[in-house]
Amino acid sequence: MSFVEHLQIWIAAFFMLSLFSFLYKDNPFYKLAEHIFAGLSAGYYIGLVWHAVILQTMINPMIQDGKWWLFIPGLLGVMMFSRFFKGFHWISRYSLAFVMGNTAGIFLLSELHGKVIPQVQATMRSVDPSQGFGGLLLSVIIITGVISTLLYFYFSKEHKGLLGGVAKLGIWFIMVSFGAHFGYTVMARISLLIGQVQFLIFDWGGSIQQIFF
Amino acid sequence: MIVLAYILLILAGAFLLYMTFRTNDRRYIYLAVAFYVIFPVVLTMQLPIDISPESQQLYDAIAALPDSSAVMLTFDYYASTLAETEPMSRAVLHHMFKKNCRVVTMTTIPLGGPSISERVTRDLAEEYGKEYGVDYVNLGYKANYVAVLKGMGSSIKAIYPADNSGTPLDEIPLMAEIKNYDDLDFICVIADNGVVEYWMSIVNAQYGIKIGSGVTAVMAPKIYAYVGSGQMTGLLGGMKGAADYEKLVGKPDAAIKGMAAQSLVHLFIIFAVIVGNVIYIVERRRGKGRV
Amino acid sequence: MRTTVPVIIAFLSGFVMILAFFFNPEKSFIGRLEPEVLAWVTIVGGFTLLLGVVSIVRVNFTAVKRRKENWPYKLATLISIFAMAIPAILPSSWSPLLGTGTGSIYDWLFNYLDAPMMSTMFAMLAFYIASAAFRAFRARNAEATLLLVTATLVMLWRVPMGEAFLKSIHGDLPQYINTYIMGGANLAVQRGIIIGAAMGAAAMSLRIMLGIERTYMGK
Repeated sequence: MSFVEHLQIWIAAFFMLSLFSFLYKDNPFYKLAEHIFAGLSAGYYIGLVWHAVILQTMINPMIQDGKWWLFIPGLLGVMMFSRFFKGFHWISRYSLAFVMGNTAGIFLLSELHGKVIPQVQATMRSVDPSQGFGGLLLSVIIITGVISTLLYFYFSKEHKGLLGGVAKLGIWFIMVSFGAHFGYTVMARISLLIGQVQFLIFDWGGSIQQIFF
Repeated sequence: MIVLAYILLILAGAFLLYMTFRTNDRRYIYLAVAFYVIFPVVLTMQLPIDISPESQQLYDAIAALPDSSAVMLTFDYYASTLAETEPMSRAVLHHMFKKNCRVVTMTTIPLGGPSISERVTRDLAEEYGKEYGVDYVNLGYKANYVAVLKGMGSSIKAIYPADNSGTPLDEIPLMAEIKNYDDLDFICVIADNGVVEYWMSIVNAQYGIKIGSGVTAVMAPKIYAYVGSGQMTGLLGGMKGAADYEKLVGKPDAAIKGMAAQSLVHLFIIFAVIVGNVIYIVERRRGKGRV
Repeated sequence: MRTTVPVIIAFLSGFVMILAFFFNPEKSFIGRLEPEVLAWVTIVGGFTLLLGVVSIVRVNFTAVKRRKENWPYKLATLISIFAMAIPAILPSSWSPLLGTGTGSIYDWLFNYLDAPMMSTMFAMLAFYIASAAFRAFRARNAEATLLLVTATLVMLWRVPMGEAFLKSIHGDLPQYINTYIMGGANLAVQRGIIIGAAMGAAAMSLRIMLGIERTYMGK
């Protein structure tokens, strides 16, 4: 490992340990690392937007391909900053309306066409007698689960009588799903810790070994 | 010897739980978690992996592609979930490069997405001797993922006039053959957020291209609904999914190495939950209601 | 002017997207217009990212200027922002350390400072979730017990040691968990939530396009 490689591993390890030190208690090392992290993340956006958006998508096509009309979205983008000026913040609504309207237009169809219809279709098609008892049981679980979950979230009528019973069944299904979510969430968080520990032991530990032993 | 080690592990966990309960100081639990992660990592313990059917499905889908197919691999994740997602990206990219697929990568993540995709693709391309612009291209990032996903259906060039390093798409040989989703054979989305659902609802539903995914464990339960409906072809869920794929492509790496620590911490947490509930039941019977 | 024009803009930009759904992207005017409009959206979207950055700079600059509590840390934030941003926006033709490419200061700062710190922030949640499981995960009633049992089964099933333990009880138990819990009850609930949420999102989209929903305008 070269000096630079050692140095960059030690810097990364220092800031990681500074953040982990919060587990013991709040301290200046943690605070410093936290503030540097926030600053670097904000700075990253500036570099990214400058190259990926302003230069590559707007200015270069305007100059090289003669797409002069791209100044319009640029202007709409600049208008967003009117939010910082009292009395002029309404100007940013034009840009927001453009983005919101566009996204709404895409969502209006894609949410129905790409989510509702295929999911409803799949629920209906889940009944397949050729799959034997296991398949039948799975179909019953899926159909009952989907209907009871949907009815649990139906709040226009009081959950009493038959609706109350189905909604109660819905809660049980939801609890099973949330349990699965919790199990998976535990897994996710532990995985992230393992990643950091692997870095500290293999990379930083390797560097320590090379320098001191 | 191994039995003794396990007994010691259990005793250490039990002692730290006891100390947590006695002192009401949660740092003992933190210590236990750190202990159960560090111990197997230091000993480089490795455990046998059973492949999940969903991981196998993704592998089979990519394996079934003709050689030199054009595929897209997305890096839709932040650096915060690298431990789960980067092993997936690496394992899938190994598979794609082994099959001589022509790979287009992109990201919808503003914070770090382009840097991560650049690092991972260049690293593996070097290993397989792939040439940038001919065998693979990194498109990088563009803002507003809904517009990006939808726009690439008509024209990738309209959304990405240049690649991540600023080279105009017209000057990249691979992109002369790939104009939009019609020219791609498969998309593998590696994500740690809800964008994976838009890949389903916008790209799969409207352009009919097959999509497989690797997602963080937090996302995985939700994605089961898309696998079940046939909208998603295969799923890697969290570090286990990454470990499955590493095993399938024969490239054991960080995920497989991490499964031993994952096992021990899971068992410890289950143990802690049981102990916590036993204490709760005992105290409720005594009528204290302390916990 | 301040409300009606944005409502008209929202309607028209949404309507173009709906029309484009039904037209051939290459053979119709609307189809050719669609990627152009979407490219515009990516440009405006890029500027919105900068809004947050400007806000952070303003808040921290004011705190440093007025020597508010913890101002040295806020100065560190400001220095970090500019240390990352200035070399990034300078052209890489001047030096390979500039720009955003591999080997640049920007890339280095991300890979060795920002990324490890971001990962660590989230890795710390492992400790909190373990602590929460011990202190708060209780079988207080039937529903909570169901949640707890499912969580335990899934936690066991997802790791090799746990899977081996489940197999020792019954060889097909891991497969049953995958089929009936994850691909059965969990899938059904997620499907119900997806259907409900998607219908809600579609309804909200229609409200935005028709100008009924104006909260994004601060109304």
